[in-house]
Amino acid sequence: MPDRPPDSPPAAPAPPGYGESAGRDGVPRPHWTPLFDSLRDLGPPELVRRWREASQLIRENGVTYNVYGDPHGTARPWQLDPIPLLIPTAEAATLERGLVQRGRLLEAVLADLYGPQRLLKDGLVPPELVFPNPGFLRPVHGLRVPDGRYLHLYAANLGRGSDGRWRVLGDRTQAPSGAGYALENRIVMTRTLPEAFRDCKVQRLAPFFQALRDTLRSLAPRNKDNPRVVLLTPGPYNETYFEHAYLARYLGYTLVEGGDLTVRDNRVYLKVLGGLQPVEVIFRRLDDDFCDPLELRPDSFLGVPGLVHAVRRGNVAVANALGTGLLETPALAAFLPALCRALLGEELELGSARTWWCGDPESLRAVLDRLPDLVVKPTFPASRLEPAFPAELSANQLAALVDRIRHRPRDYVAQERLDLSSSPVLEGDQLVSRKLVVRAYLAAQVGGGFAVMPGGLTRVSASADTTVVSMQRGGGSKDTWVLAEAEVGDFSLLPAANGRVTLTRSGGDLPSRVADNLFWLGRYAERAEGLTRLLRGIVVRLTERPGLADCPELPALLKALADQADPKWPRPTATGAATGAAADPFARVFPAVYDRADPNSLVSVVASLRLVASVVRDLISLDMWRVVNTLGDFPVPANSADDDELTPADLLDLLNRTVITLAAFGGLAAESMTRGDVWRFLDMGRKLERSLHTIGLLKATLVRPPAQEGPLLDAILEVADSAMTYRRRYLGSLRAEAVLDLVVEDETNPRSLASQLAALADDVDHLPRPAGSAGRAPEQRFALAALGSVRLAEPDRLAAVEGDARPALAELLDHVGGWLPILSDAITQQYLSHLQTSRHLATFETPRSTGADAGDRL
Amino acid sequence: MTTRYAIVHVTTYEYTEPVSLCQNVAHLAARPCAHQSNSSPVLSISPEPAVIEERVDYFGNPVHYFTIQEPHRRLTVRVDHVIGVAPRPSPAPASTPAWEAVRDRLTTDRGTPWLDAAQFAFDSRYVAAHPRYADFAGPSFPPGRPVLAAALDLVHRVHAGFAFDPQATTLATPVLEVFEKRRGVCQDFAHLLLACLRSLGLAARYVSGYLCTVPPAGTPRLVGADATHAWVSLFCGDAGWVDLDPTNDQIPADRHVLLAWGRDYDDVSPLKGVILGGGQHRVKVSVDVTPTPDESPP
Repeated sequence: MPDRPPDSPPAAPAPPGYGESAGRDGVPRPHWTPLFDSLRDLGPPELVRRWREASQLIRENGVTYNVYGDPHGTARPWQLDPIPLLIPTAEAATLERGLVQRGRLLEAVLADLYGPQRLLKDGLVPPELVFPNPGFLRPVHGLRVPDGRYLHLYAANLGRGSDGRWRVLGDRTQAPSGAGYALENRIVMTRTLPEAFRDCKVQRLAPFFQALRDTLRSLAPRNKDNPRVVLLTPGPYNETYFEHAYLARYLGYTLVEGGDLTVRDNRVYLKVLGGLQPVEVIFRRLDDDFCDPLELRPDSFLGVPGLVHAVRRGNVAVANALGTGLLETPALAAFLPALCRALLGEELELGSARTWWCGDPESLRAVLDRLPDLVVKPTFPASRLEPAFPAELSANQLAALVDRIRHRPRDYVAQERLDLSSSPVLEGDQLVSRKLVVRAYLAAQVGGGFAVMPGGLTRVSASADTTVVSMQRGGGSKDTWVLAEAEVGDFSLLPAANGRVTLTRSGGDLPSRVADNLFWLGRYAERAEGLTRLLRGIVVRLTERPGLADCPELPALLKALADQADPKWPRPTATGAATGAAADPFARVFPAVYDRADPNSLVSVVASLRLVASVVRDLISLDMWRVVNTLGDFPVPANSADDDELTPADLLDLLNRTVITLAAFGGLAAESMTRGDVWRFLDMGRKLERSLHTIGLLKATLVRPPAQEGPLLDAILEVADSAMTYRRRYLGSLRAEAVLDLVVEDETNPRSLASQLAALADDVDHLPRPAGSAGRAPEQRFALAALGSVRLAEPDRLAAVEGDARPALAELLDHVGGWLPILSDAITQQYLSHLQTSRHLATFETPRSTGADAGDRL
Repeated sequence: MTTRYAIVHVTTYEYTEPVSLCQNVAHLAARPCAHQSNSSPVLSISPEPAVIEERVDYFGNPVHYFTIQEPHRRLTVRVDHVIGVAPRPSPAPASTPAWEAVRDRLTTDRGTPWLDAAQFAFDSRYVAAHPRYADFAGPSFPPGRPVLAAALDLVHRVHAGFAFDPQATTLATPVLEVFEKRRGVCQDFAHLLLACLRSLGLAARYVSGYLCTVPPAGTPRLVGADATHAWVSLFCGDAGWVDLDPTNDQIPADRHVLLAWGRDYDDVSPLKGVILGGGQHRVKVSVDVTPTPDESPP
């Protein structure tokens, strides 16, 4: 079957099933004509070129999706195909009607099950789907929800059968994911195919998000004009974390983790540097049983202790309402037609794929009779069991599945396997067909009803012979274009170019956890730089001179490297019996760069830097984020130290590049960040870490100087990036007191210890303090104590050698080195202390969830 | 003839580091029920809670929610109440319906009390059905045996086959481990009995309460006194709910004081909380249940 260039549908016959872009005769459907015309005008090479650009943009913007089950939580670039899925106006209208009815129906079911439970008494819903359902949250039974609304954002997965009719494959009622990816897809597509977007008259997404925002604001129990709305995320390990950060930014909400919130006096507060700020609405991306360890799942601390009670008292609104996960049982689909008649007095317009709940004996028989045509799902998605496709199972596996179903039929649901429709995707410069599923989104509207997103997230199968559509299984996504009959007006939530804004210089209040992350971002960035400079100092000597004997300063530098190590990961020093591999200095340097198990190796520090940066990426500039991303492309050889592929020269090249990248990060921080709390915490982290690095370096090298000190002084100036200044001042004469003056005392040298401490003292002076507090705070006093002792020291005394050591230098370094941890603790105590984690009053501790499995999956 | 008990239940937590915030849910008040007359409990909490509120939970138990928002190194929760317990007539075991009849009707009858009972037939956080429990319970449940007669036989076998051993288990010990070790405390035996009964498709609830500390003259002191106690209540169809105490191999009469019921310990634990800070902590619980002269309640 030859593929065709991208100006017409893929060659017929496409895979069996409905063709979105063309009928079985291969003739394009009329509503696709403007798109194909536009693609033809563009021509395949231009399309491919633009697409490459867009993919680059996606990678640089860090649009990612965490692959579930990856222990490192590795983020994978988001996969977007440049050919949108088109839905004509009339079809979209029919879908909209059906979706809205379905949303109303689900809310009516929720109101009953969390209220009088008449549906159970009348036999319309089996108790087996409610009582043992982990999504049935007894603590929220009987709670009134604002305006009677449960589903503020509801999503339905739609598949089109071979008869051309759309059916619902699954409902997402508690915290549906993907709306943010749909938005990102749209933004990329309007840049990639602006002509086609215009020609096709595509409906805008912004009004939908405006409706969602209005609804969330309307939920606020008080302060309705300007309520604080937060987006609650399980955290950066969650598979759709990127989207949480993206949506928070787009909708203008603070992105928070459970630990950022606290309940006092039955009200929810956000912990910010200046104290506690009331929160009125929580837009959650956390599954509902994770939301409160006190009254819901005891093993989750991703939520907020006391939240349920604050909701009960009507002091905070949670969207979607707690308990809505109850309806995510796929078994419900089997009962919806009858429920629709009973509750709404209407026929269900948008039905589900045919569904059987095996707990019903007749359904069980029907299922076992036609198992190969079905997909089998667990009744309760909380079990996180994967769906089974009996047609793909071996005889043994199939028999085991049948046994499991027969053992507890009520735990299984079977659904007819639709022969999904196909749509063209770009592969190379050809269009090929892939199966697809569309996730449609509805937002509750103020005053009743729902707004339907004119679009959605289309997902396509990973390959031509895959009929299962799942991002976890490597599938891709598409933008979804709902076509309008008339011209579409411009409306955007993104800041308008000519709009007026209220001038402000404050950036809102910084959550304490974010301040903590910024502090660590600064520390990791500086730790990486200090380590890289030291490693470079060592490696450059190894490449120039082959052995220890030629290089008298090398043992001291290796000692500095060893002293930096984590106590659990000792690094050999140059002194002592160096034998075998340890005698080869290069073999010692290698693990300090590449050993992933060593938390202080360069690769580990860079990984930490990247993770912390990803958590605060809504606060750092895109350029800073790109710099951090560049570091992530660290070439790691497959093998460890005995890998002889990598020469010292290669390593030197890598270290040189890393130094420059890290310098770029530092430069961006210094030049492009406003001097608010965000910058201040980042800067404190940097200055503190650089002080510790300098102290460590001097302790390992100059306190017990080698007989021939010149080369070592040279190396120290190099590692401390002060060699140029020194040469200009002293030409070739290397003297310890001059080096110490420049590296320790000289406050005009931005690399000196005194400079770091002066900057720290200044940063600390500018931290927010309670109004009316008199005198210096502890952290101010500690910073001054460290700075004062450096300022009072005399370079000549520091350089004085008694016996084989420099006692004054040792004393100063110990003294300042002792103050820094105290200073760090004082900052933590004053600003970050409420970051302690909660735990149960009980005699046991349960393992903590990372949040990877606490949200909706795509 | 009603027996009246004065009950004092004190729980103390001591911490090595200050706790800055503590949120709690307590099931320490007795639920209203036909055979008990309850005085309103007096709850004394130190330090003084910033918030304390009472409500009724999903299962109809009174529950207190309280928070302490000042730093503290010690938390004391004391409850005082006087509860009168009247002996309950329990049905003659042989007169109860066949156990399969109860099991089957639980899956079909949507009327009260069947639908309410069905709540207690399914897996819950601490109690999950397993074929091994059904196998263990099997010999007590031959076809057609009246449900209460079968259950009493099972209670007897649990009592005979399992050792009371406070060192053997903690709150976190899974029921399956209790089953394998054949030892545990009242809460473990209650969970085990629930697991057996639910594995057979029957409905049974977890009951939390107290036992009288002072034995009447000439009778042995019951195990589980001086602490909170737990037992099980089995739904016997038209014969109603019947309490079973596997720790003492008996049907509770007037020496068991009922506080609350739910699906398992998690629904009705006397005191649960989440704390911020605290370091290491130590907990002390003391319970005194003393018969008092039969006079009008205070």
